[in-house]
Amino acid sequence: MGVLADVYEMLNTCNKCGGCHTACKTYKLTGSEEMSTRGRIQLIKAVADGKLEPNQEYEDAIMSCLLCGECAVTCPNGVHGNELVMAARRDLKLRKGIKPFAKSFALNTLASPKRLGMGFSLFKGVGKSVLNKIDGLDYFRGIDIRNFPTAKKPFLEQVPEKITVQHPKHKVGFYVGCFLNYSLDQTAHSVVKVLTKNDCEVIIPKDQVCCGLPQYAYGDFETAKRNARITIDTFLDKYSDAEVVLTACASCAAMLRHDYLTLFADEPSYLSKVKLFSEKVVEFSEYMAKIGVDQSKLHNSSPLTITYHDPCHMVRGLKVTKQPRQLLQMIPRVEYKEMFEANRCCGAAGLIQAFYHEVSTDITVQKTQNIKDTNADLVATSCPACMLRLQGGINKAGQKQKVMHVADVIANAYED
Amino acid sequence: MLSQTVVKRLKEIVGEKNVVTDKVGLLTYGYDGTLLSGEALGVVSPQTTEQVVEIVKLMNEHNIKLVPRGAGTNESGGTIPSEESVVISFTKMTKIHEIDTENFVAVVEPGVINFDLQVELEKKKFYFPPDPSSFKASTIGGNVGECSGGPKCFKYGVTRDYILGLEVVLPNGKVIQTGGRNFQSEPGYDLTRIIVGAEGTLGLVTKVFVRIIPIPRAKKTMLAIYDKVEDASQTVADIVAAGIIPTTLELMDNLLINTTEDFTHAGIPRDAGAVLIIEVDGYPEDMDGQVKTIGDIAKTIAKEFKVAQSAVEVDQIWTSRRSAFGSVARVRPSYGVNDITVPRSNFPKAIGGVLKVAKDFDVTIGVVAHAGDGNLHPLILFDQRNKEETETVHAAEQALCMMALDLEGTISGEHGIGLVKKKYLDKEFTPAAMEAFRKIKRSFDPTNRFNPGKVIDL
Ligand SMILES: Cc1cc2nc3c(=O)[nH]c(=O)nc-3n(C[C@H](O)[C@H](O)[C@H](O)COP(=O)(O)OP(=O)(O)OC[C@H]3O[C@@H](n4cnc5c(N)ncnc54)[C@H](O)[C@@H]3O)c2cc1C
Ligand code: SF4
Ligand code: SF4
Repeated sequence: MGVLADVYEMLNTCNKCGGCHTACKTYKLTGSEEMSTRGRIQLIKAVADGKLEPNQEYEDAIMSCLLCGECAVTCPNGVHGNELVMAARRDLKLRKGIKPFAKSFALNTLASPKRLGMGFSLFKGVGKSVLNKIDGLDYFRGIDIRNFPTAKKPFLEQVPEKITVQHPKHKVGFYVGCFLNYSLDQTAHSVVKVLTKNDCEVIIPKDQVCCGLPQYAYGDFETAKRNARITIDTFLDKYSDAEVVLTACASCAAMLRHDYLTLFADEPSYLSKVKLFSEKVVEFSEYMAKIGVDQSKLHNSSPLTITYHDPCHMVRGLKVTKQPRQLLQMIPRVEYKEMFEANRCCGAAGLIQAFYHEVSTDITVQKTQNIKDTNADLVATSCPACMLRLQGGINKAGQKQKVMHVADVIANAYED
Repeated sequence: MLSQTVVKRLKEIVGEKNVVTDKVGLLTYGYDGTLLSGEALGVVSPQTTEQVVEIVKLMNEHNIKLVPRGAGTNESGGTIPSEESVVISFTKMTKIHEIDTENFVAVVEPGVINFDLQVELEKKKFYFPPDPSSFKASTIGGNVGECSGGPKCFKYGVTRDYILGLEVVLPNGKVIQTGGRNFQSEPGYDLTRIIVGAEGTLGLVTKVFVRIIPIPRAKKTMLAIYDKVEDASQTVADIVAAGIIPTTLELMDNLLINTTEDFTHAGIPRDAGAVLIIEVDGYPEDMDGQVKTIGDIAKTIAKEFKVAQSAVEVDQIWTSRRSAFGSVARVRPSYGVNDITVPRSNFPKAIGGVLKVAKDFDVTIGVVAHAGDGNLHPLILFDQRNKEETETVHAAEQALCMMALDLEGTISGEHGIGLVKKKYLDKEFTPAAMEAFRKIKRSFDPTNRFNPGKVIDL
């Protein structure tokens, strides 16, 4: 039983009250009990009890979880469905390795910088033009591939390792993350711009790697640990003068700050270092709100209505909700409009959008409608995966809103 | 096992993905809110009345029984496939056909979740008063099946009082409509009221005409805090005796205050013996008078009486109350929920009775009650893995039922009989009444195909 034994008391604490039904989008949109938190928990318990042998249907129930964490905040008994699913994925991995699709395509690619670069470039180079020729393939399983942005050159190759300012008040280590490096390099530039405009010297280690979240989420703790160790050692040893490790990707931030601690819980000798690292991790909006943005430098000539989408890892992972909203409202002539269910998953959920696309498409359609109902011109958010998912959904629905990172919105408000 | 022919036909009727026969799927339709479980032969999720009719006919041809299921949150084993049967799940019939605010009617499919309906109604400044604490998960079909109640039922009545009509597929595959949009009762026998609360044993509900009412202009939420649960029960009796009907009059004892505080942090004092959550609604100008009258009564015994100041506070208080059942696994992993109900004036005696049972059997009992209705939910906490303890709990539950009957009460106020309370039914009703029940069941369902083994044995 192993991994499941460790979470057995939590499994047993679920008393099947159904309170989490309302939280779980995969249930709400399918009406299928095996796609609900309660169903997943009861299945994991059956496996733990030896009453069920993991099979394909079981894997589907476990792998289709968005890990959005909404169930954990909804359960009156304090049961964390997402954590139980994580344990089940780890258990599956230990039993039989990861599903072939996840292993070959996604996870290995993400784990290695070189292959990852190739993966992203598939969307810009030959791959994309081929795909473009095939009718109906604009949306590969609900993902808007035709408009999938790719950096001409990885961000890390575009910038020097250190960007200085005239009167540095802070020294910030920038953990860029895969999406900003390979796809949304513009956003990475925005982050640097906002930091430097506010007197931060920015240190951008060239040898940074994927944070390990995708592997961790599918139970491959070994690879995740390898990448985590590289990340931690890079920032703590080589670039120890960085006061904080800042990232503009909510998912990376949650991984760096929280999940690394879980990952190394069984390695006490290294754990103290992980703790030091974890305390240094800051998310972009969180940090900017803390050091304060000079509002007098922000300009905006025409009225703009903005709404904000809370990425799962931001609202439930980091519990940061106020700061991005505050920052957005600092910009002149901005009208802020809250959308319905702003804090619910957008449907991207890591690899779910590719492998369980029916349900994730339904989730995105709901989200897109909630955005439309605000009449906003612009949707801001804090996670590149959400940005791509939301923009894809909006385009597909024929809506006009532009999706931007909070950093982009702020960066645009500087005159030069 | 279902034969290939039956599975194939079912898939033709509802589509491939709406038929479940694999072990994983079946496991997840085998439980409900109780500790029981079973395994169905298959699960089928229709999306239209026509499909339901086809399914019933097919099942009749092959002599297979059907267990209707909504969200599976019932507390009486009502959706457990206890006999060889196919579960018919209504969670994919989720259309709200119509909201008619002129005639105060909404027409919905049975799988619509109570909360989702409330959200749509709220946009039109209306609501559906039956509000079981499980309302964010439970379906209108399930509410109808159990004739559910909720906090607001003290003033407004239970599900039965808000069902104007039903579309029902009978065990012979015929569709009938009972009642309709009209408020006056229909000529002939009142079939609507027989189907409501029948726990899926008489017919499959495929459409529900619910009565909706405008949201009151104003409301006030109060908390009365007591040293002892007996004291709180006295205020309940005093309020009732004074002829006042608040919207809600809910009680939670010390144990529940603490488990819910762990979750909601609503700020109810953890050392209190009990709390009463009292709400009144109506016209703004009536509020102060009502609050004062209730406050005057409560303050004679309560150690603290306060009025919630903000919408956030009110929200937190209600989240606490609604998560009461859900939160007790923080103390022990299993619970048996009882649903005894006594005449309001006997409420203090019933509280005394619960405390005595806890002492006599040496079991942990947390009490939450729709006190205004005299409906108590003593939750006995234990660990199902411990056999001996489990048996003591069963004995204690029996004692609770007997105690309620002695106080001229009933064994079930709102959770239904299902499998769990079946054995106590003939303690409450005479043999002649039991025979009348059986006759009703046989006249609807002569071959015992719908939800067999629930409520009564034939
Ligand atoms: C935390 C918690 C709190 C609760 N609080 C309350 C409360 O305050 N008040 C209260 O009364 N109950 C309460 N309950 C019990 C339960 O939630 C209610 O009985 C609810 O109405 C059940 O709805 P459901 O959709 O889950 O129905 P299910 O449990 O799926 O089914 C209930 C019954 O209805 C039948 N049924 C379902 N759909 C149909 C249909 N379409 N046609 C015919 N028969 C059908 C089923 O066969 C079964 O007998 C609570 C339960 C929990 C877990
Ligand atoms: S996870 Fe929590 S909310 Fe969901 S069924 Fe279990 S106890 Fe209830
Ligand atoms: S993490 Fe999200 S998708 Fe997964 S079970 Fe919980 S609520 Fe459902």
